[in-house]
Amino acid sequence: MEKILEVNNLKKFFPLKTSIFSREKKYVQAVNDVSFELYKGETLGLVGESGSGKSTTGRSILKLIEPTDGQIIYKNKDITNLKGEKLRNTRKELQMIFQDPYASLNPRLTIGEAISEPMLAHNLYNRKEAREKVMDLFHSVGLGEDYYNRYPHQFSGGQRQRIGIARALGLNPEVIVADEPVSALDVSVQAQIINLFKDLQDEFGFAYLFIAHDLSVVKYLSDRIAVMYLGEIVEFCKKDDLFNNPMHPYTKALISAIPVPDPTKKVDRIILEGDIPSPVDPPVGCKFNNRCYKKMDICEKIHPKLQDFNGHKVRCHLY
Amino acid sequence: MGKYIQKRLFKGAITFFITVTLTFFIVRLMPSDPATMLMDPRMTEAQRQQMLMDFGLDKPLYIQYFTYIFNLFKGELGISFMQKREVMDIIMDRLPWTLLLMIITQAITMLVGIPLGIYAGYRRGSVFDQVTNAFAIFGISIFVPWLGFTLLYFFGYRLGLLPIGGAYTPGVEGGIQYFLDVGQHLILPIITLMTIYLANYVLYTRGSVIDVLSEDYIRTARSKGMEENRVLWKHASKNAMIPTVTAAGLMLGRMVGGAVLTETVFAYPGVGRMIYQAVSQQDFPILQGAFIILALSVIIMNILTDVINAYLDPRIKID
Repeated sequence: MEKILEVNNLKKFFPLKTSIFSREKKYVQAVNDVSFELYKGETLGLVGESGSGKSTTGRSILKLIEPTDGQIIYKNKDITNLKGEKLRNTRKELQMIFQDPYASLNPRLTIGEAISEPMLAHNLYNRKEAREKVMDLFHSVGLGEDYYNRYPHQFSGGQRQRIGIARALGLNPEVIVADEPVSALDVSVQAQIINLFKDLQDEFGFAYLFIAHDLSVVKYLSDRIAVMYLGEIVEFCKKDDLFNNPMHPYTKALISAIPVPDPTKKVDRIILEGDIPSPVDPPVGCKFNNRCYKKMDICEKIHPKLQDFNGHKVRCHLY
Repeated sequence: MGKYIQKRLFKGAITFFITVTLTFFIVRLMPSDPATMLMDPRMTEAQRQQMLMDFGLDKPLYIQYFTYIFNLFKGELGISFMQKREVMDIIMDRLPWTLLLMIITQAITMLVGIPLGIYAGYRRGSVFDQVTNAFAIFGISIFVPWLGFTLLYFFGYRLGLLPIGGAYTPGVEGGIQYFLDVGQHLILPIITLMTIYLANYVLYTRGSVIDVLSEDYIRTARSKGMEENRVLWKHASKNAMIPTVTAAGLMLGRMVGGAVLTETVFAYPGVGRMIYQAVSQQDFPILQGAFIILALSVIIMNILTDVINAYLDPRIKID
């Protein structure tokens, strides 16, 4: 398979405002040393709870935020330090779908304008062609053609997310970063949108980086899944491996939390104690050690490395 | 849209009617009557009664009220105590001067203040932002007569560059010379008024640009590969204009009331100075007339503001 996007040792530290008297400068270590690669036409799921750095990772790839360190390679070109014109041209091929379909559409633009604007700005089409292209996109995402001149507030959540998807597709991207695209929608609508994602990928063949906090959403779509915890990837493998043979205690806990649609079936839930620690001051050793139910002495001292077991990567001292 | 405007006009008419009614009764509540105020101590009681009859003040209150409303519809605002002229004529003599001064001032202030505010908001915290803010605050805090006198002292008296008051030099007539003369007289009052009005535009715009720039749809625009300039001037600025338009509407509505302090300092023959004179001479019909004209203008500008806002923000419209 052809590698389309590669992320090497990505780091994003947000400086904290500290008082002028404190000596050391503190940072929120939102993303710390994350590496993965994305192949043409595949879906990579990025899972983790809030604060795990998954959205920051997604946004860094599109350079909506500047990475602190690391490398982003798109089609064998290092795009980490691109600026201005070149950055805008790359953004055309890397598109993002946002979490909140209400807030992410400009209320002043009709959806036709919102979708055709980038096409016109990048000189991909003339006005008439752009309009036709928008109509095609409406058709692809299941919206009526008469929606062209309507404003975002006239649509429901599910419809808006379809608009967001159409907008992202408008520039014929190769990679789509979907940042929790269904978490703001109710469950029945979630299913429709996820199916739409799948159909569109079959039709257009782009690669997804699909960010979610819900494993059941990712399970249906992904080819491979990376689990993040406190800015790090703790487990990374093929989807089936992850669900059939989860290795990291955190992954096991997440999988046990997926609801089973059978009230008679008894499930052994692993209940994690406490909350995710502050990324300003992560635990020494394994970052998961204060919540882990299999903690050993070593976990408090040495930070585990990401080990590779035949393509199943895990960051844990158990193995 | 048409229905929305109709509704606003109807509401405006009601507001005007209430204002006019209040004005009528407030004047009647005063412990004195016009006859007493005009009366010479040497007049007899019979003469006083005659005078009340002339003014129509001997009739019951409700008849007076209907006469007042009826006259108002004919455009008659009564007769000035001091000048013994129709109030309407007096105001109409003054209004063009005030409008000339205020329209130019407001136009320049908007043209300068809005872009300053947008850029200051965009570069929040920068030196540019801080300097702009400092100037705006300085301007709004300044004592107008002091500024006016200082300007007059330097440019009018010491340097002798500009006239020291009035709106035109008596005797200068005809074409280009008159035009230049009026322009010269306008410079200092405009500078004074701009200094105090600028903050309104700068600060409203700045604050609202800062709000809008943190919206998700700005991130969307960037991810679409829009140029930063387009993001700021098209996506952000248009959405940020609503509070500014509302503030501008209020200021423009009060325009016909002139600028009492500035016009007085510069001996400018506008409505503001007329109000100042009317207060010191207790010429109530003029004050009442000025008040009604002002109310009418504020109401009209409010309707206009609402209509413009409805155009600016498609979410507002009819409801």
